[in-house]
Amino acid sequence: MKKQANENQNFMNPYLAGLGLGLTLLASFLILGAGLGASSGIARIAACAELCVARAHTLSSGYFGKWGDAPLRYYLVFMLVGTFLGALCSALLADRVRLRVERGAKTSTGRRVMYAFAGGILVGFASRLANGCTSGQALTGSALLLTGSFAFLVFIFVGGYSTAWLFRRQWND
Amino acid sequence: MISTMYHLDALGSARAFVAALLIGVAFGFFLERAGFGSSRKLAGVFYFSDMSVIKVMFTAVVTALLGLSICVACGWVSMDAIYLMPTVYGAHIIGGLIFGVGFVMGGWCPGTAAAGLASGKMDAFVFLCGAVAGSALFNETFAFVGPLYRAGDRGIVFVYDSLGMSRIGFTLLLSIAAVLVFWGCEWIENRRRKEPMSRRDNSVLKVVSVVLPALAVLVAAIGTDANGQAAIVSAGAITSIAAEMQLLDAVEQAQDHIEPEDLADRLVTGEPGLVVVDIRPPQEYAHFHIRGAINVTMKDIYGNLMPYKNIGTIVLYSNGMTHPVQVRDSLYRMGFLNAYILTDGLDGFIQRCLTPVSLRGEPVPQATADQIRLWRSYFLSSEDSKPSEVTKVSDELTWLVSTEWLEKHLADGNVKVIDLRSQPEYNSGHIAGSLALAAENLRTNSNGVGSMLQPVDMLARHVSLMGIRPEETVVFVHGDKIHDATLAGMAMERIGHEQYAILTGGFEQWKTDGRPLTTALPGSSASSYPVIPDADNFTVDYKRVLQHVQKKSAVIIDVRPADYYMGAKSDEARAGHIPGAINRAYTEDIQKTGDIQQLKSVDELEKAYSLIIPSKDTVVVVHCRTGHQASQTFFVLKHLLGYRRLCWYDAGWAEWAARTDLPIEGAPLAKKQSFLLLRKDALLRTLPRTRGLQPRSSHFLMNRLIFLVGV
Repeated sequence: MKKQANENQNFMNPYLAGLGLGLTLLASFLILGAGLGASSGIARIAACAELCVARAHTLSSGYFGKWGDAPLRYYLVFMLVGTFLGALCSALLADRVRLRVERGAKTSTGRRVMYAFAGGILVGFASRLANGCTSGQALTGSALLLTGSFAFLVFIFVGGYSTAWLFRRQWND
Repeated sequence: MISTMYHLDALGSARAFVAALLIGVAFGFFLERAGFGSSRKLAGVFYFSDMSVIKVMFTAVVTALLGLSICVACGWVSMDAIYLMPTVYGAHIIGGLIFGVGFVMGGWCPGTAAAGLASGKMDAFVFLCGAVAGSALFNETFAFVGPLYRAGDRGIVFVYDSLGMSRIGFTLLLSIAAVLVFWGCEWIENRRRKEPMSRRDNSVLKVVSVVLPALAVLVAAIGTDANGQAAIVSAGAITSIAAEMQLLDAVEQAQDHIEPEDLADRLVTGEPGLVVVDIRPPQEYAHFHIRGAINVTMKDIYGNLMPYKNIGTIVLYSNGMTHPVQVRDSLYRMGFLNAYILTDGLDGFIQRCLTPVSLRGEPVPQATADQIRLWRSYFLSSEDSKPSEVTKVSDELTWLVSTEWLEKHLADGNVKVIDLRSQPEYNSGHIAGSLALAAENLRTNSNGVGSMLQPVDMLARHVSLMGIRPEETVVFVHGDKIHDATLAGMAMERIGHEQYAILTGGFEQWKTDGRPLTTALPGSSASSYPVIPDADNFTVDYKRVLQHVQKKSAVIIDVRPADYYMGAKSDEARAGHIPGAINRAYTEDIQKTGDIQQLKSVDELEKAYSLIIPSKDTVVVVHCRTGHQASQTFFVLKHLLGYRRLCWYDAGWAEWAARTDLPIEGAPLAKKQSFLLLRKDALLRTLPRTRGLQPRSSHFLMNRLIFLVGV
């Protein structure tokens, strides 16, 4: 019971957490001159992986090619590593680090993992298409009042709400 | 004013990596704190069971927006120091839809998955692997999805512009919408909640509901002072009440005007750096103007006066004072601290300086009478702006030769005339012995950049085929483009052939002077011109230019037309200009008399460039889009004015714009700026042209409008 309590409670008040995130974003604007980002770091890792497998092909490819032969030398890769480290500190402080697959009690681990992987592919692809994810476009771009970022944000919810029903089972207890 | 790493082009530096890592730590920390290390909690937003995603995200967006707006309004940072993503409707809409499906299916988004992984969620790890695969999939299918990736590209677009609102209005609306959404979220959650919201959470919500709109109102207030006088956002400098007070202070201390007698004296003595600007319509200027004044109508003010920003002294005048006052204040807000108005305008100048002693009502002391006589003789005599010839230091040859000189030396056997007009024009009549050459044929694609001057070996071969020998003097005859001759001149420079000159006025002058023409083709035998590899020490590549940009070690002159420089027009991948570059269009160095085009007089050019370039030993980089127009400015500066350290960025804006790793300036803002100017100009034109108009009322109205469209 105690474990369960730790998993789901002690979260920061969402508005205060939002304030913290907003100030982090502001600091990023003022110091870096660019907002937050996560999917770029992931894409750079993908480029690096492709380079290891097929170097010449990757260097001449249409999208990864322009990042050259050292795609990881990029500030958003460092930001992604920082995001992991920051979250790790927070999770350790709150005693929330548990190795597990998060799912509803009525769902098999296999189904949840399959959904997570398929969802990952869609998100990875869409983030490159839209030049950013929830961090780089929805959060950063909206704070900069950019039209495209608002469009992206609105259509995330359109896409999410219109298909949520199909995937509801994975959270059923 | 903060210089961000993006602005300094330092995002690739170790410093930026460390900063990004630390910002990432804070980002991850707050994500995990908010509970976003849990996919169940994240997905909850799609099932109305947990609205944290919306609450956290909306709070973060509004917090950062208001924080940034305050920083901008206080002048601590400029929006052009921040990377703005272009709007691509197709990619953003389709990408959003796919992302939404992936989000609800996988239960994660990239940032939160990193937080989930940190708290041991294996589904987050699987999701991240999927995202890596999805990124690679995008790369592999890029040939196919590329068109979608670029579909509906609108460049930098702000949502308030898209909605036809003001920035402040939209910010206020968004803050209020956020509060309403928060209460809506709480209402949705309350229906499912077993126990009521804690008192503390309730208090936080109430505080947020008050603070966010209050901050939005504060942002609006900083931008607008008590009298409703609006502050405007301008070329990187954001004015606020403080800046407005500074402006008024300068006005109060009479730092905004120059007395007619003072101006007259300074003009007579030929004070360097003094630019007198007549802002009346060209007809009135043509009828009479103060000697030495240039004519710049109000719509061209920013296009033409940028090179003089804070260099020398700008004096504005019209018949009266209303328009010059308004233009001066506008310039001041745009950061011109060296703009003045002429007290009492042209009418005052004529009355106070040029009215003969005999016509004056009151007696005049002898000293003043002498001065008036001097002024009258100076200002009422006609200007002399004949282009003069410049002697080449090394020998008697001038860089510009007259038709008379050329006709006299045609028979020398040591002069080769190259005609740069089109072949049909050449065939229908040319100077005896001249060879036709299209300047374009001297260029080629080099290292992926088109329109580059050919390498030295190719050029040497080219001139060999034309039979040019190293000891010969080459004279270029241009048609309607002087820069064809100067581009051919660059080829001469590259092969180390110093003995060349340009026929003043080109072919038109030759024809007008009635000098002989022929249709006979000349006989010519190929020579063997030696390749001298190191003669070209003036062509620079983008790396060198970038170094100059970063170290501010050179004056970079962009010679393209002003609207291209400002980013209002563009033929290339990106609009704008190289950071720190100043604009002086090559056309400003040309004067036209009928069909004859020639370079302005050395005195005039000397005066103009001395305002832009501190000394003859300053490193100067000239560039245009492809290097063609810039060759003319290069010729003017190097040969006519004797600047010693001149560089030519041949690849120019075509390359710079295409290399997205290079910083540019003026793109998003210039767009806004030109938009502002457009509005201002439109408004000024609608204002009554009466001299007695209360300046403040029109001023106020104008600012109000700029404020509404611009802030």
